[in-house]
Amino acid sequence: MDNKNNPLLKVEHLRKCFPIKKSITGHVLQELVAVDDISFTLNPGETLGIVGESGCGKTTLGRAILKLHQPTSGKIIFEGEDITNYKSAQMREIRKKMQIIFQDPYSSLPPRSTVGDILSEPVLVHGIVPKDKVKDYVLELMDKCGLRDYYYERYPHEFSGGQRQRICIARALSVNPSLVVCDEPVSALDVSIQAQIINLLKELQQSMNLAYLFISHDLSVVKFISDKIGVMYLGSMVEFGNKKDIFSNPLHPYTQALFSAIPNPNPDVKMKRIALAGDIPSPANPPRGCRFHTRCPYAKEICKYVTPEYKEYESGHFAACHLLDEDKK
Amino acid sequence: MKIVKKIKARLLGENNGNEIKSSGNSYLTSKEIRAISKANAKVMLRLEKYKNRKADESEFLSEMKDPKNILEIEDLNTYFFTDQGVVKAVNGVYFEIPKNATVGIVGESGCGKSVTSMSVMRLLQGPQGQIYSGSIRFRAYDYKRDGHGNPIPTGETAENGAPVYETEEKVYDIAKMPINEIYRIRGKQIAMIFQEPMTSLNPIFTIGEQLDEVTFIHTPGATKEIAKARSMEMLELVGIAAPERVYKAFPHELSGGMRQRVMIAMALSCDPRLIIADEPTTALDVTIQAQILDLLRELKDRIDGSIMLITHDLGVIAEMADYVVVMYAGRVIERGTAREIFHNPLHPYTIGLQMSKPTMDSDSDKLFNIPGNVPNPVNMPNYCYFKERCSRCTAKCSGDYPCMVQVSPTHFVACHLYTEEEKNG
Amino acid sequence: MDKDKKLIDENSAPEIESALENTSTADTDTPLDKNIKLMSPTQMVVRRFFRSKLSIIGLIMVISLFIFSFLGPLFYTKWGEIELDESGQIEYTSETVQITTEDGKTVTVKQTVERKLKDNFLAPPSSEHILGTDNEGYDIFVRLMYGGRISLTVSFIAVFVITILGVVLGGIAGYFGGVIDNVIMRICDVLMCLPGIPILLIISTLLDAANVDAKYRIYLLMIYLTLFSWPGTARLVRGQILSLREQEYMVAAEAMGYSTGRKIFKHLVPNVMPQLIVQMSLSLGSMILYEATLSYLNLGVKPPYAAWGTMINIISTNTDILQNHFNVWGPAGICIVIAVLGFNFVGDGLRDALDPKMRR
Repeated sequence: MDNKNNPLLKVEHLRKCFPIKKSITGHVLQELVAVDDISFTLNPGETLGIVGESGCGKTTLGRAILKLHQPTSGKIIFEGEDITNYKSAQMREIRKKMQIIFQDPYSSLPPRSTVGDILSEPVLVHGIVPKDKVKDYVLELMDKCGLRDYYYERYPHEFSGGQRQRICIARALSVNPSLVVCDEPVSALDVSIQAQIINLLKELQQSMNLAYLFISHDLSVVKFISDKIGVMYLGSMVEFGNKKDIFSNPLHPYTQALFSAIPNPNPDVKMKRIALAGDIPSPANPPRGCRFHTRCPYAKEICKYVTPEYKEYESGHFAACHLLDEDKK
Repeated sequence: MKIVKKIKARLLGENNGNEIKSSGNSYLTSKEIRAISKANAKVMLRLEKYKNRKADESEFLSEMKDPKNILEIEDLNTYFFTDQGVVKAVNGVYFEIPKNATVGIVGESGCGKSVTSMSVMRLLQGPQGQIYSGSIRFRAYDYKRDGHGNPIPTGETAENGAPVYETEEKVYDIAKMPINEIYRIRGKQIAMIFQEPMTSLNPIFTIGEQLDEVTFIHTPGATKEIAKARSMEMLELVGIAAPERVYKAFPHELSGGMRQRVMIAMALSCDPRLIIADEPTTALDVTIQAQILDLLRELKDRIDGSIMLITHDLGVIAEMADYVVVMYAGRVIERGTAREIFHNPLHPYTIGLQMSKPTMDSDSDKLFNIPGNVPNPVNMPNYCYFKERCSRCTAKCSGDYPCMVQVSPTHFVACHLYTEEEKNG
Repeated sequence: MDKDKKLIDENSAPEIESALENTSTADTDTPLDKNIKLMSPTQMVVRRFFRSKLSIIGLIMVISLFIFSFLGPLFYTKWGEIELDESGQIEYTSETVQITTEDGKTVTVKQTVERKLKDNFLAPPSSEHILGTDNEGYDIFVRLMYGGRISLTVSFIAVFVITILGVVLGGIAGYFGGVIDNVIMRICDVLMCLPGIPILLIISTLLDAANVDAKYRIYLLMIYLTLFSWPGTARLVRGQILSLREQEYMVAAEAMGYSTGRKIFKHLVPNVMPQLIVQMSLSLGSMILYEATLSYLNLGVKPPYAAWGTMINIISTNTDILQNHFNVWGPAGICIVIAVLGFNFVGDGLRDALDPKMRR
């Protein structure tokens, strides 16, 4: 199979709902739509950045793609295979090709195992290398991720956040995946360490030809690492496109507001903010029509009732907003 | 027997076959542990006694060095006596907060920025955490008191009906105050806003009850009506559109941004002269963060107070602060006005910090990064703490810890690169 | 502003550029890091455990009881557990005997009889019997040691069985959830509703009827008791697993594609261990109390075999002993108190030592 022409990952109309109220008979009375009708493709070796505020469903999206949550509807096609309805035994084989790195390097490492155990366990379970070579393999991997060899016998609590995140990265890469979902991998880290981890991720991407689904709330980090960017708001994708298109010509008002909200590290430049009034509505009870209309500075009457269509406006640049349709007319 | 042999072989094999350097003496021996805890117990007992003593006001009255300042911190040392040794979380920190200014304290986790604020509020967890030495001078308004310690009313009443008392200005040395005198300052003169708006409000009381309580505690002779009027006023001040509804709400009914606004209202309701904001926007989303920052900036002018803003985000500092203090491993390494720090950073750490933050307008494909890790502040060496991560270190850096060099009237830096320059020039 | 920027550029541009080239992503290890000496996890636990004086006292209590009960009989071999002291005192009684002589006369004769009592019962403490003897003539000190053996062994076995049952059932309930969880938890509820002592009385009668050896009936009773006591442990394990399952390292294990058995037994159970150890040491105390209660009610160990409960039971038959012979029942009571207190102190100490929230 020629992977270069085929996308590594194709997501079609993915939807994930969580029941929040159930009747006694188990009938779902109310549900929370965490991810609503999301479609995109990701090519091998590419990075897709997903940006959004808390509660927008970006973490759920990442986990649904790895089938850590069973999607409610839609399709996930990974390396040409439709894995949406794979059973957990079938998934076990796919698992070594898709991995995840978490936000919190403190809770994502088992506290009672040594670094060596943490890293060699997946290698042994999946039989990546013969048993007698596991240790060498792990040591080589640790070196790649910038970990000293004598860390092998140490426990996670002895390390700082950045070092722990390196261990997490090493663990995810130990099975030679082709897709890594990075769920806010740097937001719990200090600025100087953030830069180290981002550089490490970039370096590893080049040497191992990895594709990343990079989830973050920090636009500047996403901009740095991504090839394509998707902006999410309350469970749905409001804008999607190549990095250049998104940054030079943001179409959706939410994307524009996000850009303007980032504090600029220059005391003389006071940014003109597009002030977003109010709070993010609860995802359990999203507004009707366009979900953004409650906070949108340009909201019109139609936005309150009709959900805007998610369409391609430039080549490869998608957005969902009524204002864009009017411009065309 | 076979099993024993097998195990033996495995152990030997592991010992011989691999080049893993054993972690060796990276663990403390039990003898060292005992020595540490013995030494700690002695100091902790002494400091704890000093903290809980009864003292006359004259013992902690002090004088400001510069009358323009509202807070002066001089050679502050705050230590944590842990089982692994003494952690010098704040190690000889100097800085001041002028009236009506925002001072930003920036640094990475574990650099002592939060501990500094905790020291000012005297909220350190005893007996491990203790102010070891130094002084924190604070210019406070206090009620004039009669012989019985009761405040003296002027006979007038404020707009909302609360009685007005005679006040006077005093300078307290917070570090020397006994802990039971601290009520004179804490909450009333210095208020604090915390990072986690989700957990800083008590979930079983309504917002109104929690806001009123602040007024009851700090305003003598406040009635229910006065307290409520005050609370509503504060809620309006922080830009809450429906104060009546929020007043009756429970914390879980509000979003994170709203809760942070309530926290700010609570901090403001006693007319504090200094607000300590400890990472006030870190837990919030970008768009909400922008709202809160705008609010804080607006409020500072209105309440005629100062803000001590603690954050790790340089962008926030640049937007908010007039003066910036950069901390690293418990020490102030550079301080100056915001323009000086951002346009002319001198210390290699400050420079590195600014360069490692990806910005919206940068286009390079590799980020600058400072190698290494933030050091664990136990058993710190004598030389510059940044030496091992520094790309510009010279032979001099192996010497003593560099002292503060004054570069301009407001700009100070602790780095050997500039001590040389001064000598040459 | 531009001017300022240029200024820095001129000053520091070469260094920064060279630094940019050199930026390695490796995690360089600085001597500063090497200076730091940490404690190993075991050291931390040990340190926190010994910080509290109560847990040291508890540990001393428990260890000395163990030495007393298990090693004591090896060194103090003067008397056995069911060896009667037959060196009874001589007792003189005078009695009048009527004798009919040959000639038909009846003569009343006063006679002194010397009688040797077989057993030396209720002897006061002496060099022969350190704590005296009981109403049967057994040596109390020796029986205290043998009683301790029974009490400690029985409660240890009971606690282990309870823990194993609790871990397996609680683990299954917590990990799989849904219907399985519901069934196991409802069984727990039912078991917790049953009254313990009345059912024990019935079972004890049944054992009597079946002529079970007095030596083993306590074990059978304790097995029954374990069947009723596992719900507590199962609930603890279930609760722990429910919260651990949400931890990100468990999600990571799922993402790694580990099998269910590996996830439960390699990742979940070891992390429940601290709480389990605490629970075990606390329930050891209550098991000792249970054993004593059973023996006291004459349901457990039956005479002539010794148990702390049985030794106290003596007072129920003879109030004179309660009033005048403290040495008969007192030591057993003190032993029970020491054992229960000791295990509780150790349990509390362990909880503080193993609780990660206490970590500083």
